[in-house]
Amino acid sequence: MAAVAATTATKGNGGGGGGGRAGAGEGSGARRKKGPGPVATAYLVIYNVVMTAGWLVIAVGLVRAYLAKGSYHSLYYSIEKPLKFFQTGALLEILHCAIGIVPSSVVLTSFQVMSRVFLIWAVTHSVKEVQSEDSVLLFVIAWTITEIIRYSFYTFSLLNHLPYLIKWARYTLFIVLYPMGVSGELLTIYAALPFVRQAGLYSISLPNKYNFSFDYYAFLILIMISYIPLFPQLYFHMIHQRRKVLSHAEEHKKFE
Amino acid sequence: MPPKAAKKHKKAVLFFEVEILDAKTRERLCFLDKVEPQATIVEIKNLFAKTHPQWYPARQSLRLDPKGKSLKDEDILQKLPVGTTATLYFRDLGAQISWVTVFLTEYAGPLFIYLLFYFRVPFLYGRRHDFTSSRHAVVHLACICHSFHYVKRLLETLFVHRFSHGTMPLRNIFKNCAYYWGFAAWMAYYINHPLYTPPTYGAQQVKLALAIFVICQLGNFSIHMALRDLRPAGSKTRKIPYPTKNPFTWLFLLVSCPNYTYEVGSWIGFAIMTQCLPVALFSLVGFTQMTIWAKGKHRSYLKEFHDYPPLRMPIIPFLL
Repeated sequence: MAAVAATTATKGNGGGGGGGRAGAGEGSGARRKKGPGPVATAYLVIYNVVMTAGWLVIAVGLVRAYLAKGSYHSLYYSIEKPLKFFQTGALLEILHCAIGIVPSSVVLTSFQVMSRVFLIWAVTHSVKEVQSEDSVLLFVIAWTITEIIRYSFYTFSLLNHLPYLIKWARYTLFIVLYPMGVSGELLTIYAALPFVRQAGLYSISLPNKYNFSFDYYAFLILIMISYIPLFPQLYFHMIHQRRKVLSHAEEHKKFE
Repeated sequence: MPPKAAKKHKKAVLFFEVEILDAKTRERLCFLDKVEPQATIVEIKNLFAKTHPQWYPARQSLRLDPKGKSLKDEDILQKLPVGTTATLYFRDLGAQISWVTVFLTEYAGPLFIYLLFYFRVPFLYGRRHDFTSSRHAVVHLACICHSFHYVKRLLETLFVHRFSHGTMPLRNIFKNCAYYWGFAAWMAYYINHPLYTPPTYGAQQVKLALAIFVICQLGNFSIHMALRDLRPAGSKTRKIPYPTKNPFTWLFLLVSCPNYTYEVGSWIGFAIMTQCLPVALFSLVGFTQMTIWAKGKHRSYLKEFHDYPPLRMPIIPFLL
């Protein structure tokens, strides 16, 4: 979900608006190009450049660790810190929507970012035993490629100079990266379950003076189940977006 | 075709023609000729529904501009900025359900569900607790309060409230019931649990909470009655609410929507009474939603009435 969500539809057009991520108002019909002011644009360009760089650091870190170790197991440890830093930094994107410099829905963006942050901190960080799982590498790679493309897409859009290649990549690679990311996420959560049960992690049971209980194990299972309705919706929404955006771009190219 | 003029008064009545186009496809769905100039939108909707019975009036949105606002049922044709051939755009609002039906369903659920937990019906708690009763007095009191609250709501829906809108989209009933029924089950589960822990400060805490709860229930009811009296039966008039002789309505001096203020107060009282975190969370979520509604209502009042009392805040005196 986190993998899917972050690539989810932006504005169909490449120019203006920058950083738009939610499904609101795409397509040539509803193009409200109010866009951020010059200060906000400068800030957003810097933000998106920094994020692109950050995820590139993670990508490079993965490659170097692989070459050094000779195997693709347990690469998480080599990029743990930048992964946590840059993925958590994405929380700023919620703020961007809230103050209006990015024309996306606060709710949708929150959902997307929080699901990523949840996986990083509440699953992978909290349950140390899963950090050596291969499923972690699966979603880290999916996220890394997705984010590098997504943040460069926003950067170029803000500068009104979006190369078709980036647009194409953003609306095409998800076809593989989404399922890859989702698989990695689900397998990781699944791997964490027995350790959560054993340690009673983040769980509280009755009796207690606030008359409340929480079973993190059951909660994680509910999260996994929620992928079933959510993932197909997000995935097919992106496919729909792809048709609109790329066919539109094709038409533009014809008239050049 | 000109009508037959009455013998004494030779006033020619000019009939209108109304064409109804689909707002999205611009396809002409209906053409009505000989429409009275005094006809209201609801009458036009009825005529349209005759040719397309699947679109009953409640589900029709007619507007002058395909992307514009819906016309009101009471709007009169000749008062609209149209020529003698009016073009109206139609949008299907989807299946509709009456407000009364939604309210009754969403309130009956919690009433019933809470009692299932109170009586510890099988499969909710362990088998050895089936049909047992809590040994804490506060649990019995909580059941009375919760039940009273929802019975009050049901009765108000049937006998007190005067709704502006007849219907809402059908999907709302699922959303609303999930919210009310879900939270009711969640709260009731803990309050009626065999391992329930009564409030830390004992009877003192419960008494204080009960007082808050009762005052707020009375307050909320007083506001509902005051609002009802503002609006004559069957009408949709809107007026500025003012305090009446009932002291509970004096909150109107400080707040636009004191009914919401009292409602939040009731739930805070219930949370203190039961010392149950899910109740506090339910109160918080409800408060958030009611604040959004209160702000909207406050804004509407300000827009509609230029002499609106400036001291009033939407929901919390002086603050929010």
